[in-house]
Amino acid sequence: MSKPHYDREHHVKKATGIGDPQCFKGEAPPAKFKVGDRVRIKDLPDLFYTRTQAYTRGAEATVSRLVYESPPAEDESWDNTENVEWFYSLVFDMTELWPDYHAAFAKDTVETEIPEHYLEAC
Amino acid sequence: MSDDHDHEDEHLHPPAPMVDEVSEFEVLEIAVRELAIEKGLFTQEDHNQWTDYMHTLGPAPAARLVAKAWLDPEYKKLCVEDGVKASLDVNIDWVNTMPTKFGTPSDYCNLRVMEDTPTLKHVVVCTLCSCYPRPILGQSPEWYRTPNYRRRIVRWPRQVLAEFGLQLPEDVEIRVVDSNQKSRMIVLPVRPEGTEGWTEDQLAEIVTRDCLIGVAVPKPGITNNAKRPVRKAINPYKH
Repeated sequence: MSKPHYDREHHVKKATGIGDPQCFKGEAPPAKFKVGDRVRIKDLPDLFYTRTQAYTRGAEATVSRLVYESPPAEDESWDNTENVEWFYSLVFDMTELWPDYHAAFAKDTVETEIPEHYLEAC
Repeated sequence: MSDDHDHEDEHLHPPAPMVDEVSEFEVLEIAVRELAIEKGLFTQEDHNQWTDYMHTLGPAPAARLVAKAWLDPEYKKLCVEDGVKASLDVNIDWVNTMPTKFGTPSDYCNLRVMEDTPTLKHVVVCTLCSCYPRPILGQSPEWYRTPNYRRRIVRWPRQVLAEFGLQLPEDVEIRVVDSNQKSRMIVLPVRPEGTEGWTEDQLAEIVTRDCLIGVAVPKPGITNNAKRPVRKAINPYKH
Protein backbone atom coordinates (compact mmCIF):
# COMPACT_ATOMS: atom_id res chain seq x y z
CA MET A 1 0.00 0.00 0.00
CA SER A 2 1.40 3.40 -0.91
CA LYS A 3 1.82 6.00 1.74
CA PRO A 4 -1.05 8.51 1.70
CA HIS A 5 -0.11 12.09 0.92
CA TYR A 6 -1.40 14.80 3.23
CA ASP A 7 -1.18 18.46 2.29
CA ARG A 8 0.16 19.79 5.55
CA GLU A 9 0.86 23.26 4.18
CA HIS A 10 -2.49 24.39 2.80
CA HIS A 11 -3.15 26.61 5.80
CA VAL A 12 0.28 28.23 5.63
CA LYS A 13 -0.15 28.90 1.91
CA LYS A 14 -3.54 30.47 2.47
CA ALA A 15 -2.77 32.59 5.52
CA THR A 16 0.77 33.87 4.95
CA GLY A 17 0.81 37.64 4.62
CA ILE A 18 -2.98 37.82 5.14
CA GLY A 19 -3.48 36.48 8.63
CA ASP A 20 -5.80 34.01 10.29
CA PRO A 21 -8.83 34.56 10.61
CA GLN A 22 -8.56 37.31 7.91
CA CYS A 23 -7.82 34.65 5.24
CA PHE A 24 -11.37 33.26 5.60
CA LYS A 25 -13.05 36.61 5.03
CA GLY A 26 -15.99 36.44 2.63
CA GLU A 27 -16.28 32.64 2.71
CA ALA A 28 -19.12 32.37 5.23
CA PRO A 29 -22.81 32.32 4.27
CA PRO A 30 -24.70 35.47 5.33
CA ALA A 31 -24.85 35.93 9.10
CA LYS A 32 -28.07 34.62 10.69
CA PHE A 33 -27.93 36.96 13.68
CA LYS A 34 -27.28 40.64 14.17
CA VAL A 35 -26.07 42.81 17.03
CA GLY A 36 -28.68 42.91 19.82
CA ASP A 37 -30.28 39.53 18.98
CA ARG A 38 -30.98 37.11 21.83
CA VAL A 39 -29.54 33.62 21.25
CA ARG A 40 -29.26 30.34 23.13
CA ILE A 41 -26.16 28.12 23.04
CA LYS A 42 -26.99 24.60 21.83
CA ASP A 43 -25.50 21.71 23.75
CA LEU A 44 -24.09 19.98 20.66
CA PRO A 45 -22.03 16.81 20.93
CA ASP A 46 -18.34 17.25 20.21
CA LEU A 47 -15.66 14.67 19.53
CA PHE A 48 -12.48 15.18 21.58
CA TYR A 49 -12.20 18.91 20.95
CA THR A 50 -14.41 21.94 21.43
CA ARG A 51 -13.97 25.59 22.31
CA THR A 52 -17.58 26.15 23.38
CA GLN A 53 -17.30 26.19 27.14
CA ALA A 54 -19.53 23.85 29.14
CA TYR A 55 -20.71 26.78 31.26
CA THR A 56 -22.23 28.56 28.24
CA ARG A 57 -24.28 25.60 27.03
CA GLY A 58 -28.02 26.04 27.34
CA ALA A 59 -27.56 29.65 28.45
CA GLU A 60 -29.03 32.71 26.73
CA ALA A 61 -26.96 35.67 25.59
CA THR A 62 -27.05 38.89 23.59
CA VAL A 63 -25.01 39.36 20.41
CA SER A 64 -22.61 42.27 20.96
CA ARG A 65 -20.53 42.02 17.81
CA LEU A 66 -19.96 39.94 14.67
CA VAL A 67 -16.23 39.36 15.05
CA TYR A 68 -14.93 37.43 12.03
CA GLU A 69 -15.47 34.49 9.69
CA SER A 70 -13.65 31.24 10.29
CA PRO A 71 -14.10 27.49 10.31
CA PRO A 72 -15.13 26.43 13.82
CA ALA A 73 -12.31 25.17 16.04
CA GLU A 74 -14.17 21.85 16.32
CA ASP A 75 -13.59 21.34 12.55
CA GLU A 76 -10.20 22.99 12.30
CA SER A 77 -8.76 20.69 14.92
CA TRP A 78 -9.36 17.92 12.36
CA ASP A 79 -7.93 20.03 9.53
CA ASN A 80 -11.38 20.60 8.04
CA THR A 81 -11.67 24.20 6.83
CA GLU A 82 -14.68 23.74 4.52
CA ASN A 83 -17.45 25.08 6.75
CA VAL A 84 -16.57 28.72 7.28
CA GLU A 85 -19.13 30.56 9.42
CA TRP A 86 -19.63 33.78 11.34
CA PHE A 87 -18.35 34.09 14.90
CA TYR A 88 -20.31 36.17 17.39
CA SER A 89 -19.19 37.91 20.51
CA LEU A 90 -21.89 37.22 23.08
CA VAL A 91 -22.64 38.81 26.43
CA PHE A 92 -24.06 36.55 29.16
CA ASP A 93 -25.50 37.76 32.45
CA MET A 94 -23.61 36.23 35.38
CA THR A 95 -26.96 35.46 37.01
CA GLU A 96 -27.93 33.43 33.88
CA LEU A 97 -24.74 31.34 34.09
CA TRP A 98 -24.51 30.87 37.85
CA PRO A 99 -27.87 30.55 39.67
CA ASP A 100 -26.38 31.58 43.04
CA TYR A 101 -24.60 34.69 41.72
CA HIS A 102 -25.33 37.46 44.20
CA ALA A 103 -28.30 39.63 43.15
CA ALA A 104 -26.48 42.74 44.34
CA PHE A 105 -24.06 42.26 41.45
CA ALA A 106 -26.67 41.30 38.85
CA LYS A 107 -25.15 43.74 36.36
CA ASP A 108 -21.99 41.62 36.00
CA THR A 109 -21.47 39.81 32.69
CA VAL A 110 -19.24 37.43 30.73
CA GLU A 111 -18.32 38.12 27.09
CA THR A 112 -17.07 35.29 24.88
CA GLU A 113 -17.11 34.19 21.23
CA ILE A 114 -19.17 31.33 19.80
CA PRO A 115 -19.52 30.13 16.18
CA GLU A 116 -22.90 30.33 14.48
CA HIS A 117 -23.75 26.61 14.37
CA TYR A 118 -23.90 26.55 18.17
CA LEU A 119 -26.56 29.28 18.27
CA GLU A 120 -30.36 29.26 18.06
CA ALA A 121 -32.70 32.24 18.28
CA CYS A 122 -34.69 32.59 21.48
CA MET B 1 9.83 53.00 28.40
CA SER B 2 7.09 51.83 30.71
CA ASP B 3 8.94 48.63 31.56
CA ASP B 4 9.61 48.40 35.23
CA HIS B 5 12.49 46.54 36.79
CA ASP B 6 10.53 43.30 37.12
CA HIS B 7 9.82 43.24 33.41
CA GLU B 8 13.40 43.68 32.44
CA ASP B 9 14.14 40.63 34.53
CA GLU B 10 11.49 38.68 32.64
CA HIS B 11 13.13 39.58 29.35
CA LEU B 12 16.56 38.43 30.43
CA HIS B 13 15.47 35.16 31.96
CA PRO B 14 12.60 32.74 31.42
CA PRO B 15 9.74 33.49 33.82
CA ALA B 16 10.28 31.99 37.26
CA PRO B 17 8.06 29.02 38.01
CA MET B 18 5.26 29.65 40.50
CA VAL B 19 6.86 27.04 42.74
CA ASP B 20 10.57 26.23 42.70
CA GLU B 21 10.16 22.99 40.81
CA VAL B 22 10.51 22.04 37.17
CA SER B 23 6.99 21.11 36.14
CA GLU B 24 6.25 18.00 34.14
CA PHE B 25 5.08 20.29 31.32
CA GLU B 26 8.52 21.85 31.05
CA VAL B 27 10.07 18.40 30.85
CA LEU B 28 7.44 17.43 28.26
CA GLU B 29 8.23 20.55 26.18
CA ILE B 30 11.94 19.70 26.07
CA ALA B 31 11.23 16.08 25.13
CA VAL B 32 8.80 17.01 22.33
CA ARG B 33 11.09 19.75 21.03
CA GLU B 34 14.07 17.37 20.84
CA LEU B 35 11.98 14.74 19.07
CA ALA B 36 10.70 17.33 16.57
CA ILE B 37 14.26 18.48 15.82
CA GLU B 38 15.37 14.87 15.40
CA LYS B 39 12.46 14.23 13.02
CA GLY B 40 13.36 17.33 11.00
CA LEU B 41 10.11 19.26 11.56
CA PHE B 42 12.23 22.30 12.46
CA THR B 43 15.85 22.94 13.31
CA GLN B 44 17.53 24.10 16.47
CA GLU B 45 18.24 27.34 14.54
CA ASP B 46 14.47 27.84 13.96
CA HIS B 47 13.85 27.26 17.62
CA ASN B 48 16.53 29.77 18.66
CA GLN B 49 15.04 32.35 16.29
CA TRP B 50 11.59 31.79 17.74
CA THR B 51 12.70 32.03 21.37
CA ASP B 52 14.80 35.13 20.61
CA TYR B 53 11.72 36.75 19.07
CA MET B 54 9.55 35.78 22.02
CA HIS B 55 12.03 37.36 24.43
CA THR B 56 11.86 40.71 22.64
CA LEU B 57 8.14 40.94 23.42
CA GLY B 58 6.71 42.86 26.37
CA PRO B 59 3.77 45.02 27.45
CA ALA B 60 5.34 48.34 26.36
CA PRO B 61 3.56 48.58 22.96
CA ALA B 62 0.15 47.90 24.54
CA ALA B 63 0.80 50.57 27.19
CA ARG B 64 1.74 52.97 24.40
CA LEU B 65 -1.47 52.10 22.53
CA VAL B 66 -3.56 52.94 25.60
CA ALA B 67 -1.71 56.23 26.19
CA LYS B 68 -2.25 57.24 22.55
CA ALA B 69 -5.93 56.30 22.76
CA TRP B 70 -6.36 58.46 25.87
CA LEU B 71 -4.93 61.45 24.04
CA ASP B 72 -6.57 60.95 20.65
CA PRO B 73 -10.33 60.13 20.47
CA GLU B 74 -10.05 59.21 16.78
CA TYR B 75 -7.31 56.70 17.54
CA LYS B 76 -9.38 55.30 20.41
CA LYS B 77 -12.22 54.67 17.96
CA LEU B 78 -9.80 52.84 15.64
CA CYS B 79 -8.52 50.71 18.56
CA VAL B 80 -12.03 49.55 19.42
CA GLU B 81 -12.99 48.94 15.76
CA ASP B 82 -9.78 47.30 14.51
CA GLY B 83 -7.12 46.45 17.09
CA VAL B 84 -4.81 44.87 14.50
CA LYS B 85 -4.72 48.06 12.44
CA ALA B 86 -4.30 50.24 15.55
CA SER B 87 -1.35 48.07 16.63
CA LEU B 88 0.60 49.21 13.56
CA ASP B 89 0.87 52.68 15.14
CA VAL B 90 2.80 51.19 18.05
CA ASN B 91 5.01 49.14 15.69
CA ILE B 92 3.29 45.80 16.20
CA ASP B 93 2.43 44.06 12.95
CA TRP B 94 0.24 41.10 13.89
CA VAL B 95 0.24 39.66 10.37
CA ASN B 96 3.74 40.04 8.96
CA THR B 97 5.61 39.02 12.08
CA MET B 98 8.22 36.32 12.07
CA PRO B 99 8.39 33.43 12.12
CA THR B 100 5.06 32.39 10.58
CA LYS B 101 3.83 35.57 8.85
CA PHE B 102 0.18 34.71 9.48
CA GLY B 103 -0.01 35.28 13.21
CA THR B 104 2.09 33.61 15.85
CA PRO B 105 1.02 30.04 16.51
CA SER B 106 -2.08 29.95 18.70
CA ASP B 107 -2.22 33.77 18.83
CA TYR B 108 -3.90 34.36 15.48
CA CYS B 109 -4.42 37.93 14.24
CA ASN B 110 -7.50 39.39 15.82
CA LEU B 111 -6.83 41.88 18.60
CA ARG B 112 -9.82 43.35 20.38
CA VAL B 113 -9.37 46.41 22.57
CA MET B 114 -12.02 46.30 25.30
CA GLU B 115 -12.89 49.83 26.34
CA ASP B 116 -13.69 50.45 30.01
CA THR B 117 -16.09 53.19 31.05
CA PRO B 118 -16.74 54.58 34.55
CA THR B 119 -19.55 51.99 34.87
CA LEU B 120 -17.98 49.05 32.99
CA LYS B 121 -14.75 47.21 33.88
CA HIS B 122 -13.33 44.47 31.67
CA VAL B 123 -11.04 41.70 32.86
CA VAL B 124 -9.49 39.14 30.50
CA VAL B 125 -9.10 35.40 30.99
CA CYS B 126 -8.78 32.28 28.88
CA THR B 127 -10.75 29.65 30.78
CA LEU B 128 -9.96 26.86 28.30
CA CYS B 129 -6.17 27.29 28.17
CA SER B 130 -4.08 30.46 28.49
CA CYS B 131 -4.57 32.49 25.26
CA TYR B 132 -2.86 35.86 25.61
CA PRO B 133 -2.12 38.68 23.12
CA ARG B 134 1.61 37.89 23.17
CA PRO B 135 2.72 40.02 20.18
CA ILE B 136 1.58 43.18 21.97
CA LEU B 137 1.77 42.13 25.63
CA GLY B 138 4.66 39.65 25.85
CA GLN B 139 4.53 36.40 27.80
CA SER B 140 1.66 35.91 30.21
CA PRO B 141 2.38 36.04 33.92
CA GLU B 142 2.45 32.71 35.71
CA TRP B 143 -0.78 33.33 37.64
CA TYR B 144 -2.70 34.02 34.40
CA ARG B 145 -2.06 30.42 33.30
CA THR B 146 -3.11 28.76 36.54
CA PRO B 147 -6.41 26.84 36.74
CA ASN B 148 -6.99 28.73 39.99
CA TYR B 149 -7.31 32.10 38.20
CA ARG B 150 -8.96 30.70 35.07
CA ARG B 151 -11.76 28.81 36.75
CA ARG B 152 -12.49 31.33 39.50
CA ILE B 153 -12.48 34.64 37.62
CA VAL B 154 -15.56 33.71 35.53
CA ARG B 155 -17.37 32.41 38.60
CA TRP B 156 -16.40 34.86 41.38
CA PRO B 157 -14.85 37.86 39.57
CA ARG B 158 -15.34 40.33 42.41
CA GLN B 159 -13.68 38.09 44.95
CA VAL B 160 -10.73 37.32 42.65
CA LEU B 161 -10.26 41.01 41.76
CA ALA B 162 -10.34 41.81 45.49
CA GLU B 163 -7.44 39.38 45.93
CA PHE B 164 -5.56 41.54 43.41
CA GLY B 165 -6.41 44.59 45.54
CA LEU B 166 -9.12 45.87 43.20
CA GLN B 167 -12.50 46.40 44.88
CA LEU B 168 -15.22 47.86 42.70
CA PRO B 169 -18.58 49.33 43.76
CA GLU B 170 -21.88 47.59 42.92
CA ASP B 171 -22.82 50.11 40.24
CA VAL B 172 -19.78 49.16 38.16
CA GLU B 173 -20.52 46.24 35.81
CA ILE B 174 -17.69 43.73 35.74
CA ARG B 175 -17.38 42.08 32.34
CA VAL B 176 -15.16 39.01 32.27
CA VAL B 177 -13.88 38.52 28.72
CA ASP B 178 -13.15 34.85 28.04
CA SER B 179 -10.87 34.63 24.99
CA ASN B 180 -11.91 31.21 23.79
CA GLN B 181 -11.54 31.57 19.99
CA LYS B 182 -9.26 33.50 17.63
CA SER B 183 -9.58 36.95 19.22
CA ARG B 184 -7.05 38.15 21.77
CA MET B 185 -8.00 40.97 24.11
CA ILE B 186 -6.42 43.84 25.97
CA VAL B 187 -8.24 46.26 28.25
CA LEU B 188 -8.34 49.99 27.57
CA PRO B 189 -8.80 51.35 31.09
CA VAL B 190 -10.38 54.67 32.02
CA ARG B 191 -7.81 57.48 32.18
CA PRO B 192 -7.34 58.18 35.90
CA GLU B 193 -7.84 61.55 37.54
CA GLY B 194 -4.70 63.48 38.29
CA THR B 195 -3.18 62.92 34.83
CA GLU B 196 -4.43 66.10 33.21
CA GLY B 197 -1.89 67.60 30.84
CA TRP B 198 0.39 64.53 30.94
CA THR B 199 2.45 63.57 27.89
CA GLU B 200 2.10 60.25 26.09
CA ASP B 201 5.33 59.00 27.74
CA GLN B 202 4.07 59.85 31.21
CA LEU B 203 0.72 58.18 30.55
CA ALA B 204 2.28 55.02 29.10
CA GLU B 205 4.32 54.58 32.29
CA ILE B 206 1.28 54.04 34.52
CA VAL B 207 -0.34 51.50 32.17
CA THR B 208 1.06 48.31 33.66
CA ARG B 209 0.61 44.78 32.38
CA ASP B 210 -1.96 44.12 35.13
CA CYS B 211 -3.99 47.14 33.93
CA LEU B 212 -3.95 45.72 30.41
CA ILE B 213 -5.24 42.33 31.62
CA GLY B 214 -7.80 44.17 33.72
CA VAL B 215 -6.90 43.04 37.25
CA ALA B 216 -5.69 46.54 38.17
CA VAL B 217 -6.57 50.12 37.24
CA PRO B 218 -3.94 52.75 36.40
CA LYS B 219 -3.06 55.21 39.15
CA PRO B 220 -0.67 58.16 38.99
CA GLY B 221 2.60 57.13 40.61
CA ILE B 222 2.05 53.36 40.24
CA THR B 223 4.29 51.95 37.48
CA ASN B 224 4.80 48.39 38.80
CA ASN B 225 2.61 45.33 38.90
CA ALA B 226 1.67 44.40 42.45
CA LYS B 227 3.72 41.50 43.75
CA ARG B 228 1.88 38.17 43.72
CA PRO B 229 2.38 35.81 46.62
CA VAL B 230 4.54 32.79 45.79
CA ARG B 231 3.91 29.52 47.55
CA LYS B 232 7.16 27.79 48.52
CA ALA B 233 7.73 24.33 47.10
CA ILE B 234 7.42 21.36 49.44
CA ASN B 235 10.20 19.54 47.59
CA PRO B 236 12.27 22.32 45.98
CA TYR B 237 14.23 21.43 42.88
CA LYS B 238 17.97 21.52 43.52
CA HIS B 239 20.52 22.11 40.74
